[in-house]
Amino acid sequence: MTFSLLHATDFADRLLYKIVPPLKAGMIVLADRYAYTAFARDATRGVDRQWVRELYSFAVRPDLTLYFRVPIDVSVDRLMARRVKLKFYEAGMDLGWSANPVESFRLFQGKVLDEYDQLVQEFGLEVVDAKGSITEQQRYVRTLVTQHVKTSRVEMIDDEPV
Amino acid sequence: MTSPSDPVEGLNGNGQAGRYYGRGIPYLPIDGYPGKLIAIEGTDGVGRSTQIQLLREWLEVKGYGVIETGWTRSPLMQPTIEIAKSSNTLNKLTFVLLYATDFADRLEKEIIPALKAGFVVLSDRYIFTALARAGVRGVDRQWLRNVYGFAIAPHLVFYLNIDVKTLIGRVLESRGMDFWESGMDLKLGDDIYDSFRAYQLKLLREYQSMADEFNFRVVDARRSIDRIQDELRRQVGAFLEPAEKPSEPALTR
Repeated sequence: MTFSLLHATDFADRLLYKIVPPLKAGMIVLADRYAYTAFARDATRGVDRQWVRELYSFAVRPDLTLYFRVPIDVSVDRLMARRVKLKFYEAGMDLGWSANPVESFRLFQGKVLDEYDQLVQEFGLEVVDAKGSITEQQRYVRTLVTQHVKTSRVEMIDDEPV
Repeated sequence: MTSPSDPVEGLNGNGQAGRYYGRGIPYLPIDGYPGKLIAIEGTDGVGRSTQIQLLREWLEVKGYGVIETGWTRSPLMQPTIEIAKSSNTLNKLTFVLLYATDFADRLEKEIIPALKAGFVVLSDRYIFTALARAGVRGVDRQWLRNVYGFAIAPHLVFYLNIDVKTLIGRVLESRGMDFWESGMDLKLGDDIYDSFRAYQLKLLREYQSMADEFNFRVVDARRSIDRIQDELRRQVGAFLEPAEKPSEPALTR
């Protein structure tokens, strides 16, 4: 619960200082992770799913949410290839499912991915196949983004001369 | 961010004593725990701590195991809350969430283990303080009640009720008015006295509006320390040992 609430506090702070002001100014905000991360991660830790959704009801609903989906094995392989040292909470070590960080990561993040799959339906996330090459992914992302944002022409909103 | 199809269940006044108000903490079932949770509520400077101190001694003499828990006293959150309060970047949402985190920490690490072990838990303030403070600051009431749906409904909630005039006298006689207790963040007035008065009036109204919703046992806190303590002991005694007096004559017969 404290893990969930601390992240919500951090999120609320960033929402009010970093997300809402640029949105009001008509800018595009790119968020690396959003409330959905909390929905998936907290539910895996045994927090009530509906409660977390209600907790985050102060959040702005994104115009577009991209979910980069990757099988757990690919995810583990990529991290191991870069010799990333797994973080304690990221590997779900607090849950005590395995004393081995890699094994714990696999178990925990595997369940997190299951939660994400439910979110895709529930919140209409756009799934990007993250097994593919960076270029392929980026092209697909651009297609999705262009559908939501008019990127063809830069409109001058200000009438006043600079 | 909720799905429209899901009905929302949060904290409401129908909470059964000793059970979660709302959705609770799924990984911590608490049914059948022998301990008792007693909350003493009331605004700043009303005399809660004094009463809890006396109540604790009395209960311990009677043989009860007692622990106290108090607002923002969690080891995890206290330093963070102090830093945040002094940083001028807190807004009403982060304010609420920091307090909720503190409460969650104490609930999981202090209150629930104590209830499991059969202690009487005396809570100096409970979630009603959070609801009142946030309510005054215009935070959505339903959202607040949902967030605090993981709280346990106390077996008894005593509300130490006072009027603002008596309160002002007491606070000035003891430690004086402080920034947050005067609600200076709300900019109700430049003068700390005016702000304290206006803020506490609003707070008292919020507490009052919760009295029925959450089954407060309202105690007149304008009286002397001893009179208040007598009433608390009488009510706590009747709750903890309801059968004691009627059963005595039956035994002698």
